[in-house]
Amino acid sequence: MLNKIKSSKGIVTAVWVLGLMVIWEICAFIVGATQRTPINVLPHLYQIFGSFFDPKPITGSGDTIATLVFSSAAETLSRALIGFVIGMLLGYALALFMNLSHIVEKIAFPYLMIIQMIPILGMAPIVLSITGDISSARIVIAAILTFYPVSTNTLAGFKSVGRERHELMKSYGANKFQLYIKMLIPSAMSYFFTGLKISAPMAITASILVDTLQGGNGLGCMLSQSLKGSMTRFVFWDIVIFSAVIGVLSFYLMGVIERAISPSKRKAKKLNNGKD
Amino acid sequence: MSEKVNVPEISVKNVSMVFSDSKGNPVQALKDVSIDIQKGEFISLLGPSGCGKSTLLRIVSDLLTPTSGEVTVCGKTPKETRLEQKFGIVFQNPVLLDWRTVRKNIRLPLEMMKVPKEEQASRIEQVLELVGLKEFGNSYPGQLSGGMQQRVGIARALAIQPDILLMDEPFSALDEFTREKLNDDVLHIWRKTNKTVLFVTHNISESVYMSDRICVLSPHPGRLSAIVDVNLPRPRTPEMRGTPEFAALVEKVRNSFEGI
Repeated sequence: MLNKIKSSKGIVTAVWVLGLMVIWEICAFIVGATQRTPINVLPHLYQIFGSFFDPKPITGSGDTIATLVFSSAAETLSRALIGFVIGMLLGYALALFMNLSHIVEKIAFPYLMIIQMIPILGMAPIVLSITGDISSARIVIAAILTFYPVSTNTLAGFKSVGRERHELMKSYGANKFQLYIKMLIPSAMSYFFTGLKISAPMAITASILVDTLQGGNGLGCMLSQSLKGSMTRFVFWDIVIFSAVIGVLSFYLMGVIERAISPSKRKAKKLNNGKD
Repeated sequence: MSEKVNVPEISVKNVSMVFSDSKGNPVQALKDVSIDIQKGEFISLLGPSGCGKSTLLRIVSDLLTPTSGEVTVCGKTPKETRLEQKFGIVFQNPVLLDWRTVRKNIRLPLEMMKVPKEEQASRIEQVLELVGLKEFGNSYPGQLSGGMQQRVGIARALAIQPDILLMDEPFSALDEFTREKLNDDVLHIWRKTNKTVLFVTHNISESVYMSDRICVLSPHPGRLSAIVDVNLPRPRTPEMRGTPEFAALVEKVRNSFEGI
């Protein structure tokens, strides 16, 4: 019973991916019939995947597309991860302070909103000129983008704890520390992870975007070089697909971590599956 | 009452409570309420919504401070009694922590009271036995039915070995069958543990079935309109619900409301 449901979920995903591929291919055929350079608009999927595993070097230093993508990904994504972790820690700390002090909340919240409203394309050059270094700029931008969703979602989590839960703790004579450790922080955990799920793909996207501003070795840099024609166009396509996959995986990874640290979620899920 | 020679366990004297509503206008939730409750008594606070019955329970347990009037519990202020962890409170919602197993939920107050580990374990087993959930100790609240969750809430309240058990409409979210079963369970536990129980409900027949005395509260403003003695014999049995005496008491309680 359990396996049946698990595999049926897998089938749904497979149908989804397959459907997407079919639509892509149909479009690629139409584009191929009407355009003079279809590879610039929409190449076939087999061409894209083929190019990725093509052993022929495309640069003077002997890199194939695959090694080029992996080395630039390591460059960009490691910075995205550092920024993500920093943004997560700062965002969580601010949520804690905002919940502890009404004054901090009143002062900090408008700034949070403003940071969120400035387009990342506008913020990135400023950060780059301040830091003067593309790697630090990647980290800072990823941190800024992670900060807001984590902070607001976690704060919402703290505030969602109902009156009776507070009364329960009060009736035990709990102090502030016990209230947070035993009640508020675990209660807000799923909100915190919602924030992480939103910000993980955003941190990746942002650091790729920062790459495009300057030459270097990052994913975004290769992307723009390929678009400008200094490398084969397939580098562009491969990076687009690769980044999409990494973005989706980063989202799922947050869910996996959440389930790993909260056994109640795993058990409740098992029970529901058993009932169905 | 004949046993009034003792100092009452809970004494409420001329308590009034005024809240302000969302527009800042004062709302009188309780007006001049006085009740004496003896040790080991089972008292119901009965009334429609807006009569201040839950407010009164929260005042007794120091979750709210009254605007005027005086409350003493075991000869002390409610705050002293709360900090000594003498109150076991069962809320309308079970208020279980969904990330903790049943056992760990019951352990929560014991952790804060710094009860030694071995004693924690023995107390948990004891209360689980009492509420009949021995084999569900390692389940998560999400895996239990509403009635079972409320039993865990009761077990958690009993685990701190309180002098006074305060129950705020604990069964109002449950179906009739589960509620009547839990009524009997609570009476059984009460008889075994001999606690003073303050039971808030809006269900007339439930209050008649459970209580020694019923404090009838009327709304707008919340006030005590009658105290009805329930002289049905103990232990109460489900058959009593069908007797003429029971029906007469229900009728008497119903007629003591004012201005609804």
